[in-house]
This record gives sequence, C-alpha cells and structure tokens, in this order.
Amino acid sequence: MIEGRSITRTFAARRGALGHRGVRALRGVDFTIPDRGAVSFIGESGCGKTTLGRILCGLEDFDGGDLIIAGQSMAGLRPGQRAPYHRRIQMIHQDPYSALNPTRTIGQILADPLTLRARQLDADRGRLDRGWLDRGWLDRGWLDKRRAELLGFVGLDPDYVLPRYPHMLSGGMRQRVVIARALTVDPEVLVADEAVSMIDVSLRLGILQLLRDLRETIGVSVLFITHDVATARYIGQGGRLYVIYRGAVVEHGDTDTVIQHPAHPYTQCLLSAVPVLQGIERPGPDRVVPTGPLDERSEPPGCLFEPRCPFAEEDCRAAPPELGQLGGTRQRHACLHPARRSVVAVPAGSGAA
Amino acid sequence: MTTTSALTPEQLQRAMRRSRQRAASRWRLFVNTPGRVASCVIVVVFALMAIAGPYLYPANLPIHPGDIYAPPSLAHPLGTDFEGTDTLALIVTGARYVLLAALIAAVITIVLGTSAGLAAGYYPRLAGSAIMRVTDFVLAIPGFPVLLVLSTIWRFSSVLQMGVALGVFGWGGVARAVRAQTLSLRERGFVEAARGLGLPGGHIIRAEVLPNVAPFIGMNLMLQLTGFIYTEVGLFFLGAVPYSTNNWGVMLNNAVFQANAVTSPRALAYLLSPLICILLITLALVTLANAVDEFFNPRLRRA
Amino acid sequence: MAAGVRVRDLTVSFPTPDGPLPAVAGVSLDLARGQITGLVGESGSGKSTLALTLLNAVPAPGHVSSGSVLIDDVGDVLALRRAELRRARGAKIGYVFQASQNSLNPLKPVGKQLLDLGRSHGQRDLRAFLHTARLLMDEMGLDAERVLASYQHELSGGMRQRVGIALALVLNAHVLILDEPTTALDMLTQASVLAIIRKVHAERHLTTLVISHDMGVVGDLADRMAVMYAGRIVEEGPTAQVLADPRHPYTRGLLTSMPRITGEIKEARPLPGRVPDLASAPRQGCVFRPRCPLATDACATAEPPATVLGDRRFACYVAAGEAGAAA
Repeated sequence: MIEGRSITRTFAARRGALGHRGVRALRGVDFTIPDRGAVSFIGESGCGKTTLGRILCGLEDFDGGDLIIAGQSMAGLRPGQRAPYHRRIQMIHQDPYSALNPTRTIGQILADPLTLRARQLDADRGRLDRGWLDRGWLDRGWLDKRRAELLGFVGLDPDYVLPRYPHMLSGGMRQRVVIARALTVDPEVLVADEAVSMIDVSLRLGILQLLRDLRETIGVSVLFITHDVATARYIGQGGRLYVIYRGAVVEHGDTDTVIQHPAHPYTQCLLSAVPVLQGIERPGPDRVVPTGPLDERSEPPGCLFEPRCPFAEEDCRAAPPELGQLGGTRQRHACLHPARRSVVAVPAGSGAA
Repeated sequence: MTTTSALTPEQLQRAMRRSRQRAASRWRLFVNTPGRVASCVIVVVFALMAIAGPYLYPANLPIHPGDIYAPPSLAHPLGTDFEGTDTLALIVTGARYVLLAALIAAVITIVLGTSAGLAAGYYPRLAGSAIMRVTDFVLAIPGFPVLLVLSTIWRFSSVLQMGVALGVFGWGGVARAVRAQTLSLRERGFVEAARGLGLPGGHIIRAEVLPNVAPFIGMNLMLQLTGFIYTEVGLFFLGAVPYSTNNWGVMLNNAVFQANAVTSPRALAYLLSPLICILLITLALVTLANAVDEFFNPRLRRA
Repeated sequence: MAAGVRVRDLTVSFPTPDGPLPAVAGVSLDLARGQITGLVGESGSGKSTLALTLLNAVPAPGHVSSGSVLIDDVGDVLALRRAELRRARGAKIGYVFQASQNSLNPLKPVGKQLLDLGRSHGQRDLRAFLHTARLLMDEMGLDAERVLASYQHELSGGMRQRVGIALALVLNAHVLILDEPTTALDMLTQASVLAIIRKVHAERHLTTLVISHDMGVVGDLADRMAVMYAGRIVEEGPTAQVLADPRHPYTRGLLTSMPRITGEIKEARPLPGRVPDLASAPRQGCVFRPRCPLATDACATAEPPATVLGDRRFACYVAAGEAGAAA
C-alpha cells in the first residue's frame, strides 16, 4: 500500500517570469493506493498530476508532507536510501517510442533489469555477490524463462518480439514491452502517465484491459494519470478517481460515482467538455464551462477555482475549502456550494432528462 | 491470448527478409553514389600506402643527383625533389607519418572527449562543473600556436609523440558536444526508466547513452582526422618541426622554401603532389562523414 | 447544393523497396459547401496525406498518381502551377497544420509572421490587414495585442492552436482544413477550440474539413463524416447516421473499442490486429480483411465497391449483403 500525506512541491521560479514565489505544483495532496487497487488522477495539463506520479517513482523530490511506501516513511530517509522503495513503483511513460532504447533489441532491453533482479534475489537468498559484470553464474535458463513469461503476461509472442528493435514494432506493442520491462523488477505499483494517449484509438482499449488484468494476475496496483476521463473507467473494478486542480485535490471518490454525480464545479466542467457523439448521445442538459482561462500566476485567497467558477459566491473567496461531504455526497469534495448537475452525455434514445 | 499481429506466415517471412535486407543495405550507404565510391577507393588506397608504403621502398630512398627537380617522366611519374629522390616514392612513404599521427590524435580526442562529455553530462551535479572547467580551459588553448611554441622544445620525433601532442589539445570540442547530447538523452524515457529500474550508472552510460551518441562520434572522427592532417601539415610546412622522416608537410616546406615552386615552374610536380594528396584524402573523409551520419540516422537517408 | 471541394479517384503513391504503394487509394469525397466534414482515421490511414493533397503539398517522394481535387473558384488544385498554387494556398484554402504548436516560427513574434504572410500574398495595405487579423483574434477570444507581440513558446497550446486558425483564415479563405486540431490539448482547451471552429465556420460560411484520429472530436463537430482505413474511405455519410447505425465493420469496431465516458464498460471490445502501414496492407481484396470478424471468402478476391444507401456510402461485401436483404 502507498500513502501520500499532504505532499507539497514548489518549483523554483524561473528568472522573473513568475515572481519570487515560484510555481506551487502540489499543495498538500493526500491519497491512498491500496494493494491491487486502481487509482486515477485526472486534471488539465500543469495541474500537478504528472509531478505526483514522478514523485512516487522517485524521479522527483517533494518539499513537504510524506510518502509512505510499504509502511516506510520516505521523508525519514535520505534520498540515497529511498531508491529500493521507489523501485517498487514503476513508470509507464506516455511515449512508447522514446521509452525504449532504439539501439537495443527487445531481448536486451528486458535482459538488463532481469539480470539485476536475479542478482538481488540471490543476495536476498544469501549467495555471494560476485559483482555486476560477472554473469557467469547467471542462470541463463531462468532469464529466458522469465522473459518469455513476462511477455506472455502482456500478450506478446516472445519469438516475434525478442530479436526486434523498437522501431519494428507498433505503438501498442511497444507500450506492452514497456509494461513487461516494468514488471521485471516485481513492482507493486505501475504508474501509467498518459500511457495510451500516443497509441492508436483502436489499440488503446487493449492496453487498458491489460492493466486491468495485471491487477488480477500479478497483483500490481495501477495509478492512472490522464486528462482523458473516459480512459479511467476501464482499468477495472473498485477504481478511485482523484480530480486535481492546480496542485490540490478538489474531488475524490469511487470512479463511477464521481463521473455520474460530480459534485465540484471543476469536475463538472471537465465532464461537460467531453465530446458528444451525435446520433448516439445528447449533451447533458446542465453542461457548464469555466468563465475564463486558467491564470497560473494568480493566487486566489479562497477556493482556487473561484475566479473561473460560474457558481462562485462571496464565501468562496474567504478561505480554501476543506475536503468534505457537504450536500450528502458519497465522494469527498472541496466545494462550499455543491449542486447536482447532469453534465455527462445521455444516450440519444432515452426520454427527456 | 497473444495479440501479436494478424500477419500470415508468408507475410511474416517477407517482413523478416525485408528487415534483413534493410540491415544489409545500410552498408551500401557508403557506395551508393559515385562520389562515395571514389571516396572509399581513395581512403583504401591511402590506407594501404600508410600500412605498406615504407615496405615497398628501401629505408633510405635512392637519390639521383643528376636528376634534381626533374619533370614527370616514365621513370619518375611525379618528378623528383631537390636531391633527385623520386617524388612518388616520397609520397607513398610519407603517407604513414601524416595519416597515422592524425589517426592517433583523432582516437585520443574521441576517447578523452567522449569520456569527459559522458561523465559531465550524466552526473551534472557531481562531476559536471569540474570537468567542464577543465574542458573550457582546453578549448581556450590556441592549439596551433601552442604546438608551434612547443615544437621549439620538443622534437616530435615519433609518430606517437606527434599524435599525442595534437590529441591532447583537441578534445575540448568533442567533450562539449557529447556532454550536450548526454544531458538531453538523460531526460529521455528509456534512460529515466533505466534509473527507475535501478540499473547502475555505469551500465546506463555504457549501454543506454553511448550507443545513442555513437552517430555523432562516428561522424566527428572523420572530421577530426581531416583537421589533424591539416594541423600536422601546417606545422611541418612552417618548418616548426625539424624533419628526419619523409612526410607530406616536409615536402611542401621544401617545395615552397627551397625550390621556390610557387614562383618558378620547375618542381611544380613536387609541390602539387602532396597538396593533391591532402586534398583528396580530406574530400574523401568529408564525403564519407555524411555517409556515416546517414548510416546511424535513418531519417537522413534519401528514399 | 454545389460542392465546395470535390475529390475524385485520388491516388497518392510512395516509392518503397517493394515498388510504389498507395497511401491514398482511389479516394472520392465531397466536402459540401457550408458544412463541416470530418475525416476519422488512425495512424497510417492516409488522412494526413489526403489533407496535404488538397493543397497539392504532398511531400516528396510521394506523388499523385491519378485523380483530381476540384475546389470552387480555384479549379483542379493538382493542375495549378507554382505561382497560382502559392496564391491559392492561404488566400483560397486555409490550412491549420497538425500540432499548430510546431508550425509557428519559434524565432519570430506572431505579428511578424502575420506580416510576412500578408506581404507574400501581395497585401498592399498592411495596416488594414493587421486590423483584420486583430478582429479575427478577438473573435477567438485571444488578447490580440499580447498575442501579436509574443513568441511561440510564450503562448499556451490552446492559444497557439487558435493563432494557427487565425493565420489560416486571415486572407479570407473559404475552405478551411484542420489536421488534428486538438491533439495534445487537454479536455477544456479542446472544448473551447472546437467551439471556436464551430463559430468561425458558421460566421464565415466556410467549407470545413476536420481530420482527427479521435472519433469523439469528429462525432461532436462534423455534419458529415468519413472513415478512412489504409488509404481508402470505408464509410461516409451524415455523422448522426453513421454513428447511430455504422455499417462497415471497421466503423463498428472503432466505436466499440473507443473508451467512452458513458455506456457499458463490458461492451467495449478491442480491435484485434495491427493498424496496417504501406507495406503490410493486403494487396488483394478488402484491406480490412485481416482484422474483420465478418470476413468471408468473397472479401479476399477484390476490393469491395461502394454501396450507396440514401445519403451514405460504405465499402463492404457483407454490409452490402445486409443492406440488400433489408431492401
């Protein structure tokens, strides 16, 4: 289980552009990723969701709060000591092509981390550490078997894929290789950062279902980071959705609940923006749009969304609202005046909304 | 359960054959235009000269005192020099020093420069600034004038010494360029993934970064060779280094300062021979540099 | 209704080690004047090549093997010579490139590029030209003064896209082609850009072609839509009809495999197989056959002809059979 408590991250200001305060990418975010769980972070670009994913993988540091991995607090460790914990969380990047070394075959790409893993496992079992370069002891059979096994998990044929270079495979296949590589170190969490946005539409569902199935077969959790809310529905049962705006969680709860009955106006704007397929759907009757564009430099005293919120009231400017269940909602949200609005498209054949 | 492809076995065979052909055809890049074929021939000829040349002639070339600065003839296709030594013999035996020294210098530059660049680029915070300060220092040194001055104390009597002297002052540019590429590669998905997987830094530099920097290094090697040939020849031409061996730069020096070949028509062959050789090898290397670039970078290839 | 753009039997080929292969194969398409037509296709479908052909700008070594592209008051674009072609581009046909973020010159402020555009099209009164541009940008919700003075990297993705659209329309073209206008934009920005396209299209009575891999974008925006696969148009018709009653198995497959915010999760099924490229597309018979759940022996013989059903077309033997049976 992974737990984030009040994670904060501020990026140092660029010369003069944003003033000396810097960019507050994350403002005290709390979240939990249960074992075998499916968690999605939704938000616009620049909202901090990618930063959060990178913090989980150890690619970025956090300035405040704490990250608990397998019961161990990361804040209590020095950066050098955290690596073994962060290794349990593996990233699946957006671009499957740049995520694979173009000068190495798939076989080599998978062999490197497996060799490392074998060494670790042996160290755990108390065998002599004979050094990274000494591969003589490495059980070749184990390596080949494990490679084929992992490729099988992701639905690829080892004979086809192993001798090839990345540019010989399609985008969907590359992404599967990336997932297989992530699985070589037996991780607990896969962080999929826009993992399907650069893949052809007809192949996306395959990857999403693969992630869903891996939760069952291997027992990994999936953290799905995306701006496309629709994809978050397909990573399996029991998913939780976190809606992030400007570095703060504005709503979180069961995925279907948040999508069908969004409470926070920002979530409602996001869902209103989903394109409506003519002939099959009609737009939701209560669709809303923000009243203006995002201004990253503004620091409103109260609710962060208030300057753009079509329903803002006086008290929204007073102080940043806390997450709660105002209005009797099942999910938690940070709005002082939530209201039910039917924003998601309804099937065209249905009766009047 | 597998979702590989919907290709039939015949289509699969065809695809594999095509990709084998594509791999083999990469080498054809070096001979796909007449210019490149000529360049390969030139390089091979000069390489043979450098390797085998001195064995084809006796250690002390025969002089023909009655035949000084003779014009080209059947016996002496390129004429003779101030002692009556056959110019062709001088060219062939003189190739080794020039080319070998340039090769040694180029190798030293590439090795030093790449190592420095990789280390500085991959560990920007730890080693980066220290290495770059040294690099900037080396870059700031005016190589040619320093070598001129150095030549007054140091005799550069062997090829190795010449090569080392040239190489030690020339690695700055390569280091800078490799560092820039490493810095950018460091942010690429597969390098980040390798770090996240816990692969050691040494492995990442060697197996992930270096192969992607190889195209630049390959091309740079060619261009470095031409640069060093010029530097050497320049040094010898200026008489900065006393000559005890045959080489092209010495020939140029003799031709201009002793035979006055630039003002008088005799010994023209003696002047032109080394010049044309230098020109040819340089052109050939530059042409092949483009081929090396295309070899590594598929996008540059013409369809 | 007179057609704004008529594409007839267009074939664009590229040389490959196996001989010339078509990226666009025998495509016929009408873009009705005053309507938004959407073209849906995945990577390798040939949609971008088709779009570039409308400008006669297919990149070498590709070339047009046959066909014509007739645009009202321009004639056959493919027959135009250099000077006329240059005049047509921009002044008659506005093109918004894929990822407008990359088609703006990073070294020049937007205003300078605009002036360059005006000068190269012989606009003599540059002040009036700039004024027109400013009005256009205001319509799009851009702060014109700020945008004209900015460099490309100082603008957000959504703003760059809008600038791209403004540059495409500033010379009063009446045909607008947008290639992947909302790729790499997030949901809210995408929605606002789509709204602007709708608005500008309506106000100026344009003939608009929107190309996207995202069925949602086309399904929301376009009045008519065409589905492209491996260089061929497999289905075409009014958007609402095509989506509500898709006939071609690829269209059906795309709809079922598309992650959607509504609808039963369990009903979604991925399309098997790979998206074909030039080399791997079947040379004989229907291109979709390797991935088609309904493929029959007849499908291997020759490419299916277009079946016309009212205002729609589709190219599938099985679907034609069903339509015939229902008739």
